[in-house]
Amino acid sequence: MEDKGSILKRTYFLYMMLGVFAVAILFKVFQIVFVQGEQWREKAENLTIQYRTIDAVRGNIYALDGSLLATSVPIYEVRFDPNAEAISDEIFNQNLDTLSQCLSKLFKDKSKLAYKQELTHARNKGERYHLIRRNVKYTDLKKMREFPLFNRGRYKGGFLYVQQNKRQKPFRVLAARTIGYDRDGSAVGLEGAYDADLRGVSGKRLMKKIAGGVWMPVSSENEVEPEDGSDLVTTIDVNIQDVAESALLKQVQKHGAANGCVVLMEVATGEIRAIANLQRGEDGRYYESYNYAIGASTEPGSTFKLASYMAAMEDGFIDLDYKIETGNGKYEFYGTRMFDSKEGGYGTITVKEAFAVSSNIAVAKIIDKFYKSDPQKFIDRLYSMRLNEPLGVEIAGEGKPFIKSANDPSWSGISLPWISHGYEVSMTPLQILTLYNAVANDGKMVKPMFVKGVQKHGKTVQEFEPVVLKDRIASKETISKVKEMLEEVVKNGTATNLRDANFHIAGKTGTAQIAKGKLGYDKVAYQASFCGYFPAEDPKYTCIVVVNAPSKNVYYGNVVAGPIFKEIADKVYSTSIDFHEELKEQKDGEELRTPVSKSGFAPDLAEVFQDIDVKYIQKNQAEWVLTQTSPDSVDMLPATIRENLVPNVRGMAVEDAVYLLENMGLKVRIDGKGVVKYQSIQPGERVIKGGTIKLQLT
Amino acid sequence: MQRLFKYIGGDKAIWMVVLFMALSSVLLVYSSIVTLAYKYQDGNTMYYILKHAVFIVTGFGFIYIIHKINYKYFSRVAQLLFWISIPLLLLTLIMGANLNNASRWLVIPIINQSFQTSDLAKLSLIMFTARTLSIRKDQLGDFYQGFLALLIPVGIITVLILPANFSTAAVLFTTCMMLMFMAGVKLKHMAVLIPAGIGALALIFTIATVKPELFPRAETWKKRVERFIGGEEDRDGNYQVEQAKIAIASGGVTGKGPGNSTQRNFLPHPYSDFIYAIVLEEYGLFGGLIVMMFYLILLFRSIKIVQKVEHSFGAYLVLGLSFSLVFQGLINMAVNVNLLPVTGQPLPLVSMGGTSLWFTCISLGIILSVSRSVEQNEIEAETAKSKKGGNYVVS
Repeated sequence: MEDKGSILKRTYFLYMMLGVFAVAILFKVFQIVFVQGEQWREKAENLTIQYRTIDAVRGNIYALDGSLLATSVPIYEVRFDPNAEAISDEIFNQNLDTLSQCLSKLFKDKSKLAYKQELTHARNKGERYHLIRRNVKYTDLKKMREFPLFNRGRYKGGFLYVQQNKRQKPFRVLAARTIGYDRDGSAVGLEGAYDADLRGVSGKRLMKKIAGGVWMPVSSENEVEPEDGSDLVTTIDVNIQDVAESALLKQVQKHGAANGCVVLMEVATGEIRAIANLQRGEDGRYYESYNYAIGASTEPGSTFKLASYMAAMEDGFIDLDYKIETGNGKYEFYGTRMFDSKEGGYGTITVKEAFAVSSNIAVAKIIDKFYKSDPQKFIDRLYSMRLNEPLGVEIAGEGKPFIKSANDPSWSGISLPWISHGYEVSMTPLQILTLYNAVANDGKMVKPMFVKGVQKHGKTVQEFEPVVLKDRIASKETISKVKEMLEEVVKNGTATNLRDANFHIAGKTGTAQIAKGKLGYDKVAYQASFCGYFPAEDPKYTCIVVVNAPSKNVYYGNVVAGPIFKEIADKVYSTSIDFHEELKEQKDGEELRTPVSKSGFAPDLAEVFQDIDVKYIQKNQAEWVLTQTSPDSVDMLPATIRENLVPNVRGMAVEDAVYLLENMGLKVRIDGKGVVKYQSIQPGERVIKGGTIKLQLT
Repeated sequence: MQRLFKYIGGDKAIWMVVLFMALSSVLLVYSSIVTLAYKYQDGNTMYYILKHAVFIVTGFGFIYIIHKINYKYFSRVAQLLFWISIPLLLLTLIMGANLNNASRWLVIPIINQSFQTSDLAKLSLIMFTARTLSIRKDQLGDFYQGFLALLIPVGIITVLILPANFSTAAVLFTTCMMLMFMAGVKLKHMAVLIPAGIGALALIFTIATVKPELFPRAETWKKRVERFIGGEEDRDGNYQVEQAKIAIASGGVTGKGPGNSTQRNFLPHPYSDFIYAIVLEEYGLFGGLIVMMFYLILLFRSIKIVQKVEHSFGAYLVLGLSFSLVFQGLINMAVNVNLLPVTGQPLPLVSMGGTSLWFTCISLGIILSVSRSVEQNEIEAETAKSKKGGNYVVS
C-alpha cells in the first residue's frame, strides 16, 4: 500500500478525536460524582431503599368452645394499571368486554357497561393505579386472577393488589365491646388488654422501590422475620352470650332503655361466660358501644343492701328474725324523707322479710341504729368485704368503686342510712356481681376472669388460674344467712316472677334513682337491676342484669331486669351438663320446616341451600330464578330475563333486583328494606334506558 | 496457555480485551436484569443470564470460526450481504414487530430468533464500503467516481434505517464518513455533506410535522433533543437522565460493589442502553475507566493491525469495524453521562443484546481474521528471511 502514511495520519487524527470524546465523558463523570454528587446521592437515599415493617398476623380470640370471636382475615384492595406498558390498544380492546362482564358478574355492583366505561376512561386519562374495589375477599381475588387481562399478571396485565389484614368478629355484635378492637392506637377490651400477646412481633424487611412504585424485597429472606401473635382463649360461651345479648336486646327495646348490660359468671372460678352491653344509638338502634358492666360506676341501689345486712350480721347486731319497725312506709332521717315502695308501709317485719320486700327504711334504720355512734365501723366492714377496691380486671377502663369513709368532708347524718341502701356509694355492675358471686361461693371472692389461656399454634403457652381476691368476705354463718335471704326474695319477695319449678334462683332486685346532671333533678332516671345466682342450693353461676333509665314507668328491677336474668338462667340450665344427666332426643314430629326463600341468583341460592341442607329442585339452568316453597323442598323456577324487557323482580332480594335492573340500563330507587314487594314498571314492559324504576320493599 | 494460543490466531491483546469484556458483561447483565426478571420471569434471573451466556459462548464461536477464514473472501460476502440488507430493511420497515413505535426487528424463520436488521445492515455496509474503497482506491480524489460512488450505498442504507432508528443511522453514517476520511476521500468533498445534512434534517422534520405517520418516532426524537438542550423539567422527562446521574453519583470513585446497584430498578433498560451507568454505580469511576480503556485498547490494537496489513481491503475493513464498535461504545457512555441526548445505543459486547452481540462478535472475528493473516505474513517473511540468513552462513 503506497499511501499508508496518509491513511495512518488521518487515522491517528480520528483516534485523537475519539480520545478527546472519551476525556469529555470522563470529565462529565467527574462532574457528576464530585460536583453534583451530594445532591444526587441525597435524592437516591430518599428514593430507593427502606426498611419496611411486615405486620405479624394478629392472634385469634376464641370462645370457650373454640369458636372464633375475633380473627384477622386478609382483604385486598384491587387496583388496575390500564396503562401498563405491556397492554397495547389491541390487547386492551380485546379483553375489555369480557373483563367488564366478569367484574360485573363477580361484584354485581355495576353493570358491564358501567365497568367498560370506567376502565376505558381510566385508560384514556392515563391512570396508572385505578381503584377497582376495596375489601376484596381472598376467594374473590383468586377469581379475579383468572379474569382476562388480569390473568396476565402485574406487569403484563396491570393487575395490582395490596393486602391488608382486617379484624373480623364472626359473631359480629356478640360480646363485641368486651372483645374490643385495636385500631389507630386506641385499643379497647381484650384486644387492648392482651395486645402484646395478640400482636406478635412485626418483622422488618429491606425493600427497594422498583418501577411503578412497587416495593420489592432486596433479599429473598426477611431481615427480621415477623412472629405471629398468640391466640387468646376466652371464657366466653358463645351460646350463652347469644342468649344474653338477645334477651337484653329484647328488654331494652321493649322498655326503650338508654342502655343495659348483662354479665354471667361462673361461681367457682369467676370465669365470665357472657357479657353483653347495649347502648341506644342516635338512630334508636342498640349497639355494643360502651362496656357498662366494667366501666360504669353508679349508685347500685337496693342490690347494695346485701352488703349492709352482712356487715350488721358480722358484727352480731342482727339475725334473720330480728324485728324492725318500718311504720307506714315513710321515715325521716335528719329532715330527709325516705320511702318504701309499698303504699302504707310494711309495718313491723323481720330482717328476712325486709330484705325480701326490699324495704329501704328497714335497712336504713338498722344500720343507723347500730352504727350511728361509730359510722366508720360500718364503713370498715364494707371495706373488709373489699368493696372499695377495683377488681383489677385486665380490660382497661374499670370504673372505680366509691365508698366514702366517715371522715370524708361530704359525710353527713344521712350518709349512713343512705349508704345502707345503695346511695352515696358507687360501684360497677361487675363489682356488684363479684360481691354476689363471693356469697354464692361461700364467702370466697374471686376475680372475674375473661381469659383462660394463651395459645400459640394450638399449644397452650400460658394458662390463667382463678384469682382469689379475698378468701372470706364474711363468716360462714353470715353467708348462709344472707343466702337464705336471697332465696326468700325470689320465693316470696320482689322477684317472685323468677320462680321456676326446675331450679331455684336466689338474688336481689334493685331500683336506683339516678339524678343525672344531664337530665336534671326533675327528671330522674332509673336503674333497674337484678343480681343473683342459681341453682340456689348449689350455686354454679352468678348473673347481673342492669338496665338504665327505663321509661314507661316500669322501672322495678324484677319487671325490667328479671326476665333477662330468667332467660339466661333457663338457657344455661338447659344446656349445662352439670345440671342434667342426659339430654332427651329430639322427637320425630318436630322436623324442621322448609324455609321460605327469596328469588334471585340461582348459583348463590343453590350454594346456600346446600350449606343448610335444604332440598331444592332446579329443573333448568336459568341464572335467575323465582322460588316457591313446597313442604319438603324449594322449587326454583326460571325467571324470564329478556333483553330490553323489564324482568319480574318481585320476591327478589334487593341486591339482586338492583343488579338486574341496572344492568338493563334502568335507574333504581328503593324504598324500605327486605324483599321486593312492588315494582313501578310492570314486568314485560319495554326498558327505556336511563328510566327510573321504583321498588317498594317489604 | 501457550497451547491454547496455538489454535487461535490474530492479535492476542484484542482476544484478551474481548474476553474481559465478555466477563464483565456477564457480571453486569446478571446484576441489571433483576427488574426484567421480576417483570417477565417471576424473578428468575437464571433465565436471562443463561440466555445471555449462550449468546456469549456462541458469539465466541463466531469469532473463532470467522477469524480462521481468509479475510479476502469477505469482499464478496460484503457485496452479497449489502444486497440482502436492502430488501430486509424494507421488509422490517413494513412489517417488523412493533416495539416502542420503532420497527426494528425481524424474526429469523427457522430458529425463531428476532434480530435487528440494522445490525446486519451496519455490518454489511461497513464491509461494503471497505470493499468499494479498496476497489476505487485510485479514484478517491474524484468527486463522482470516488466520493459519490461511496456515498450512495451509505445513503441508501442509512435512509432505510433512519425512520425506525435515528441514532443507529446517525452513528453508522458518521462511522462511514470517518472511514472514508481515513481512506483519503477529500475533505472538501465531504464538506458538501454539511449543508446537505442540514437540508435533509429540515426536510425530515417538515415531513414529520405534516405527515407524522411517516416518521412515528419523530416526536420522541424532538422531545429528547429538546430535553437535552433545554434541560426543562417535565414530569418524566429527565427521568432517565436523572436516574443515571443518581447511579453515577452514588457509585462514587470505587463503586458499590458487584450486584449492589439499586438504580437498576429505576433505569430503563439497565442491561443495555444504560449499562454504563450500572458500571459506574457498581464499580465506580475506576470501573468506568477500565471499561472505557477496553474500547480504546481495542481501537489502538486495531490501528496496529492496519499499520502492518498488506492489502488495503483489510486495512479499511479493520478501520471501519473497529471505529464502528468503539464509536458506538463511546456514544453509549456519552448518553449515560448525559453528554448526549438519550438514544438507545447499547454498549457493544457488554450490553445484553442477543443477536446484536453476535454481530459484534462477527465484526471482531473479521478484525482478528485480518490480524491473523498479518501475523501469518510476518511468520512467512521471518522464515524466508531466516532461511536466507542460514544460506549466508553456509555459503
